[in-house]
Amino acid sequence: MSDVGLGPLGNAALYLALAFALWGVLSGVLGSIRKDARLLTSARFAGIATFLAMTAAIAVMEIALLTDDFSVSYVANTSRAASPLWVKIVTLWAALEGSLLLWGWLLSGYWALLSVVAPNTPLRSWALTTMAVVQTFFILVPAVLAPPFETMSPIPLDGPGPNPLLQNHWMMAVHPFLMYLGFVGLTVPFAYAISALISGRPGSEWMLQTRRWTLIGWGFLTAAIISGGWWSYEVLGWGGYWAWDPVENVSFLPWLTATAFIHSVQVQERRHMLKGWNLLLIILTFSLTLLGTFLTRSGVVSSVHAFGDGPVGPAFLAFFLIVMAGSLALVAWRWDAIRDRADLDHPVSREGSFLAGNVLFLAIAFAVLLGTLFPLIVEAVSGDKVTVGAPFFDQATLPLWMIVLLLMGIGPLLPWRRANTQTLSSNLMWMTGAAVAATAVAFALGMREIYPLLTIGLSGWNLASLALLLLGAVVPRMRVGTRSVVQVIANYAFENRRRFGSMIVHFGVIVMALGIMASSAYRIDEQVRIDVGATAPFEDLTFTVKDTFMESTEHRISAGALVDVHRNGNLLTTLRPRINTFFGQSMNVPTPDVLYLPAYDVYLNVAAGITPDSEFVVLRVVRSPLVSWVWIAGFIMAFGTVYALTPTRRAARSTQRTPRGSATA
Amino acid sequence: MKRWIYGVLGIGVLVGAGFLIQRALSDSLVYFILPSEYASSGGEYDDRRIRLGGIVAPGTVAFDDQALQLAFEVTDSLMTYPVRHTGTPPELFQENTGVVVEGRFENGVFVSDNLLVKHSEVYEPPADGEPIDIEALKDTLQ
Repeated sequence: MSDVGLGPLGNAALYLALAFALWGVLSGVLGSIRKDARLLTSARFAGIATFLAMTAAIAVMEIALLTDDFSVSYVANTSRAASPLWVKIVTLWAALEGSLLLWGWLLSGYWALLSVVAPNTPLRSWALTTMAVVQTFFILVPAVLAPPFETMSPIPLDGPGPNPLLQNHWMMAVHPFLMYLGFVGLTVPFAYAISALISGRPGSEWMLQTRRWTLIGWGFLTAAIISGGWWSYEVLGWGGYWAWDPVENVSFLPWLTATAFIHSVQVQERRHMLKGWNLLLIILTFSLTLLGTFLTRSGVVSSVHAFGDGPVGPAFLAFFLIVMAGSLALVAWRWDAIRDRADLDHPVSREGSFLAGNVLFLAIAFAVLLGTLFPLIVEAVSGDKVTVGAPFFDQATLPLWMIVLLLMGIGPLLPWRRANTQTLSSNLMWMTGAAVAATAVAFALGMREIYPLLTIGLSGWNLASLALLLLGAVVPRMRVGTRSVVQVIANYAFENRRRFGSMIVHFGVIVMALGIMASSAYRIDEQVRIDVGATAPFEDLTFTVKDTFMESTEHRISAGALVDVHRNGNLLTTLRPRINTFFGQSMNVPTPDVLYLPAYDVYLNVAAGITPDSEFVVLRVVRSPLVSWVWIAGFIMAFGTVYALTPTRRAARSTQRTPRGSATA
Repeated sequence: MKRWIYGVLGIGVLVGAGFLIQRALSDSLVYFILPSEYASSGGEYDDRRIRLGGIVAPGTVAFDDQALQLAFEVTDSLMTYPVRHTGTPPELFQENTGVVVEGRFENGVFVSDNLLVKHSEVYEPPADGEPIDIEALKDTLQ
C-alpha cells in the first residue's frame, strides 16, 4: 500500500475531471464566439481528457471495491468483503454516490466519442460546449454533494454490503447501466438542438446529424425499462413487472417523449415541418431525465424503491429549472426562424398520422406525470395524504394506447403528403378483416373483456399492416427480376435497414402488447398452503412440496422449499423458491423461482418464513399467461433498433461523400 | 389554411385525454387515514378503497394457518378497528409495530388485501393523560 490512499487518489481524478470539463466549457464558449480553431481543438481535447480522468476515478473505485479498501467511504457504506466478485464489481452502481459517478463517466464517454467522431459542421462547437456544461454538472454533483471518495476514520473492518434487493439478481448489473446509457445518449441530440438554437441554424441539420445518437439513446432506454421490469418480476416477489411506481414512471416519461421525437423528426426530415416541435421535444426529453432524478432522489415522492433524501435532489431540481428556462429562452429568441412555413397537405398522410401519434404520446406522458405528482399536489392543497393507484394509470392511458396501436398500423402504410384513396381503402379493408377475424377467434375462445379483445383485434390489424408493407415493397421488385421471394425480401431488408428495422420494432410492440394484455388481464395470484410431503392442485398444475432446505454460502443463508411442478402427470420442473438473508443486512429477501413457459409462467414465492422443522409452507403462486413474451418483445425491439442502426454498404459509402448521409427508407 | 382544423382536432384530443384523466383520478385516489380519522369522517370513506395506518394492538393477533386468514386490530390509541387480511403475516409483523393495510371497510371491519409493515416505526404508548401525537404517527407511517 502506498502512502496515498485510494480515497484521495479518486478525489484527485474526480477534481481533475472537473477541471478538464470546466476547461471544455470555457474554451468551447470562447472558441465558438471568437471562431478560434485552436481553442475549439483544445475544447475537443478537454472532452477526451475528462473521459480519461473519469475513467481513472471509476478505476480507482473499482480497485477499492475489489480490494475491500474500507478507508474509502463508498466502499465502507455499500460493499462487503465476503460478497462474490460480480457483486463487488456492480456495487459501483448499487448506491447513489456510485451511480452518479457511473452516470458522469458514461456521459464523458459520449462526450469524448463525440469530440472525436462528430463531423466538422457549424453545429459541432456549441454542441460539444453544451456537452461540457452538462458534464460539469454531472461531475460537480458526485464531487461536492455526494462524494464517494471520502476517507473513513477510523477505517471500518467491513461494510454492510449493497442493498439485498440489488445483490439478489444479476439483472441489477445490467438495468442501471442501460438506463444511464439511454439518458446519456439522449443528451447528444439535446446538445445539438441547443447548438442549433445558439448558432442560429435551427433547421434540420442538428437532427440529421444526431439521428443515430437519438436511436442509440432510445434503444438503450427501451432496453433499460424492459430489463427493469424483468428485474422487478424476478426479485420483488409479487409476480408483476410494472406497478406504476414513481421510480418506474419517471424512467418512462423520457421514453415517451423520445418515442414521439424519433417519429416526428421523420416529418421534419421529409416535409421540413415541426421544427419548433422537435426542438421542444428533445429539450423536454432531456429535462425529464433530470426531473425524474430529482423526484426519485429527493424523497418528495414516496416509492417502494425509497432512495431517501439528500442534497442531490435539489441540485437536480435546480439544474432542471436552469435547463428548462435556458432552453425555452433560446427557443423564444429564435422563434422567427423556427416557425413552420409549410403546412399539412392532408391529415390522412404519413405526417398526419405521425403528428397524431405525437399528441397521443405526449398525452400519455402528461397523464403519467400528473399521476406521479398528484399526491404532492393534493397534500400541498388539502393536507390529505393520498396515493394514486395503478387503476388510474390503466384507466387514463389504456384508451390512448389503443389509439397508438391503431395509428401504428395505419401510419407506415400512408404515403407522405396525401394518401391515394383507392390504395388506402383496399389496405384498410384487409386490416379491418384481420382485426375482426382476430377478435372473433378471441371471442370464440371465451374472452369477453373489452381491452383484451381490443388488443387482440389491433394486433391482427397491425400484423396485416406489416404484411401489406412487406408486400408493397416486395411485389414491385418481384416484377422486375427473376429472383425468388426469399431473395427479394432479404435484399429489401438489407437495403432498407431503417425501414425494415422499424418494422421489426413495431412487430416487437405487437408482441409486447399481447404479453402485457394477457399477463395483466388473466393473471392468477393466490396463496396456497401445502404440508411438507403433500401435493396441492392449482388450475391445471399440481405442486408437490418435496422438502424444505437450508443452505448457506459465504455471504448469505437461504431457507426455501423444493416444489415439484406437474402437469397431466408429467414433471415439468422442480422450483426452489427461498428466502435469502444476506450477512450484514437485516432485511430478508424472498426470492421467487419461476418456470418460464411459452403459454404462461409459474411463479412461486415463499410467503411465510421457513425453518428446518416447518411442517407446511405457504406459497404465493402467480400464473401469468404470455408474460415471457414481454421479455421476448424487448429483445425483438432491441434487435430492430440495432438492425436499423447498422449501416448498409451503400449508405456507408455515401456518408463518406456527403456528411449529411443518405436518406434511405 | 387548414391549420384551424388541426387546431380543433388537437384541442379535441387534449379535452378527451383530460376527461379520461379526470375520471380516472377521481376514481382511484387512495386516501391514507388513521382509525380516529375514519371514525370522525362520517362515512366519507365507506365505499372506497383506502389505506389505513396504525399500530397492531397487542393481544389481538390471530392467524389461521389452514385458511390463511389473519385477524388483528389496528389502533391509533384514540380508535381501534378490527382488520381481516387474506394471506400470511409478512416478515416483521408483530404486536405494537406500525402497519398500513389497504382495502375497504365492510360492516365496521377493514378487509385488507395488502399489508405493509412499517418497521422503522417504534411506537411508545403515551403516558396517562398525555395526548398522542397523531400527526407524527401519520408521518412515520406514510
